[in-house]
Amino acid sequence: MEGTIVFILFGSFLGLLILGAPITVALGVSALISFIYLDENPIKFVQIAFTSVGSFPLMALPAFILAGALMEAAGISRRLVMVAESFAGPFTGGISAATVFACLFFGAISGSGPATTAAVGMLMIPAMIDRGYDKGVASSITASSGSLGIIIPPSIPMVIFGIAALGMQPPPEAVEKYGVFQTVSIPKLFIAGVLPGLVIAGSLLVMNYIICKRRGYSGSAEGFSARNILCTLYQAFWALLAPLVILGGIYSGWFTPTEAAIVAIFYTLVIGFLIYRELNLQSLFRSLETTTWLTGRVLLILFTATVFGRLLVENQIPAIIAEAMLSATQNTYLIWTMLILFLLFVGMFMETLATILILTPVLLPIAYNLGIDPVHFGVVMVCALGVGFQTPPLGENLFIASGISNISIEEISIKALPFAAVNTVAIFLIAFFPEIVLWLPRAFGY
Amino acid sequence: MSGLVLRILDNIESYICRTLLAIFVILLFAQILSREFFGYSFSWSEELATYMFVWFVFFGASYAARLSAHNRVTFQFKAMPKRVVHIIEGIADLFWLAFNVYFVYLSFNFVFFKMNVFWKSQTLGIPMKYVYLILPLAFTLMSIRIIQVNYMRLVKGIDIRDPDQQEVEKFMEDGGAKP
Repeated sequence: MEGTIVFILFGSFLGLLILGAPITVALGVSALISFIYLDENPIKFVQIAFTSVGSFPLMALPAFILAGALMEAAGISRRLVMVAESFAGPFTGGISAATVFACLFFGAISGSGPATTAAVGMLMIPAMIDRGYDKGVASSITASSGSLGIIIPPSIPMVIFGIAALGMQPPPEAVEKYGVFQTVSIPKLFIAGVLPGLVIAGSLLVMNYIICKRRGYSGSAEGFSARNILCTLYQAFWALLAPLVILGGIYSGWFTPTEAAIVAIFYTLVIGFLIYRELNLQSLFRSLETTTWLTGRVLLILFTATVFGRLLVENQIPAIIAEAMLSATQNTYLIWTMLILFLLFVGMFMETLATILILTPVLLPIAYNLGIDPVHFGVVMVCALGVGFQTPPLGENLFIASGISNISIEEISIKALPFAAVNTVAIFLIAFFPEIVLWLPRAFGY
Repeated sequence: MSGLVLRILDNIESYICRTLLAIFVILLFAQILSREFFGYSFSWSEELATYMFVWFVFFGASYAARLSAHNRVTFQFKAMPKRVVHIIEGIADLFWLAFNVYFVYLSFNFVFFKMNVFWKSQTLGIPMKYVYLILPLAFTLMSIRIIQVNYMRLVKGIDIRDPDQQEVEKFMEDGGAKP
C-alpha cells in the first residue's frame, strides 16, 4: 500500500518533470493523482492554496527581492563593490581576493546569488583583466564567489527554508530520542549563516591565493592608496549604511525580517532619488515588475509543494527513508555525506528555491529522525545548493560571468572546478562541526 | 485604440500586481512608522496587507505564466531542435491546463457553495468569500495565459522566453568588459 503511493507520487512527479512541465505543475498534478488514488477530499487543495501563501512572515520574500532590485538600480551595489576594489592593494591575488570580499559585502544586502555575480562581475572582471588576469580565471573566481550571496544574510533561500520549516513539527519519536529541538526562525537562520559564509569565503580565498601564486599574479606596485580608499569609502557612505540598517534592525530585535526589508526599500528610495539621484520612475516600475513575476513563480511552487509535502508526511515517507538510512549506517558523518552529495547533485539540475520547497518536507523530517538540528540542517542545505550556481548545466553564475567576459562556459566551468572543490570541502566542515552554525545564534541569545 | 486596449489586457496582471505591491509595502511602512514614533499600531493593517499579498501572489503567478517564467527542468532538451522542445512543452502544458480547470472548479465550488457565508475576516470584517475569490479568478486567467503563450509559440512562431534566460542572453550579447 505504502509502496504504491510512493510509486504514484514520485513516478508521476518525475515523469512530468522530464516531459518539461513546470516544476509547480509536476508537484500539483502528482499530488492530485495521489489524492484521487487515496480517495481523499481534494478540497484541501483550495484551503492550502490560501493558507500556505497567506502568512505574514512570507511577505519578507517580495520585500527582499524588491529591496535588492532597487539597490541595484540606485547605485548602492556599485559603490559597495568599488570599496572592495580599493582595498585590493599589493598582495598576491589581491584584486581577486577583493572580488570575494565584494561578494561578501554584497551578500549583506542582496539575497540572490546570480544578482551578486552580475553586480560584482560587471566591475571586478574588467578590473582583474586590467591587472593582467587570465579572463577565464577572473570569470571563474567571480562565478564561484557569487554563491556567497545566498549564504550571507539576508538570504532569500533561507527565508524560503524558514517558511517551509516553520510549519513542520519535529516528529514525537525523534523528540523522545534526542530531546527537544530548537525552533526555526528566519532571524535565527540569518545569524546562523554568517560564520558558514565566512568559512566558505575563507576556503575560496585560500584557493585563490594558490592559483594566483602559481600564475604569478602579484599586486599592484603602488601598494595601498589611502586616498583612493578614503575616497571610495566617502562615496559609499550611504551604501555602507544599508546592510547596517537591515541586519542591525533584525538583530537588535527592532524589526522582523519583513519589516527590515520594508525599511530597506524606503531607505533605498530616499538614497536613490535624493542623494545618489540614480533612481528614476522607470527603474522603480521595472523593479516592481521583476518582483511580481519572481514572487508569483516561487510562491505558486510553495502552494503545490505544501500539498506534496503534506502527502509525504501523512504517509510517513520521510520516516521510512530515515529508518532505511539508519539501518544502513549509524555513523552521522556518513549520513551527512549522503545528504550533501544528494543535495549537490539535485542542485546541479534544479532551481534553488524550488528545490528547497520540494526537499525540505522530505529531508527535514529525516534530519529530525537522525537527531540533526533543524537550523544546522537548513544552513548546510542552502550552502550545498549554492554550489549548483557555479556548476553546469544550470549554473546561472557561470552564464552571467561568461556573458561579461566573453569566455566560453566550458572554459569557465573547468577553471571554476578547484573553487567548487574547496567550497564542497568547506560544506563538509560546516556539516561535521555543527558549532560553526550554532555558536553565533546562541551567543546572540536566540 | 484597440491596440492600446490589447496592450493593457496583455499586461493586466502586471498593472494590478505592481499596484498591490506598492500599496502593501507602503501600508507596512506606515505601520512601522506609527508603531515606532507614535506607539500606536493599527489592528487591521497586517490583515489587509496579508490579503493584498495573496492577491498579488496569484495574479503574479498568472503574469509569470504569460512571461513563460515558471521553472522547468530543461537539461534533457539540450540536444533537440527548438520546435520539437516547444511541442513537447506544449503537451506538458496540457497537464497544467487540466489541473487549473479542475482547481477552478474546486475553488469556485468552495467559494460559492461550500463556504460558510457568515465567515468574516477577523479585524476587517470582510466576508472571506471575497478574499478567496482570487483563487478561481487567478487560475482562470492563468489558463488563458497558458493557451495564449502556446498559441503564440506554436501557431504564430513567436519565441517567448523565460525572463531569466533573457537576462542571461542580454549579458551574452552585451558581452565584453564594460567600465
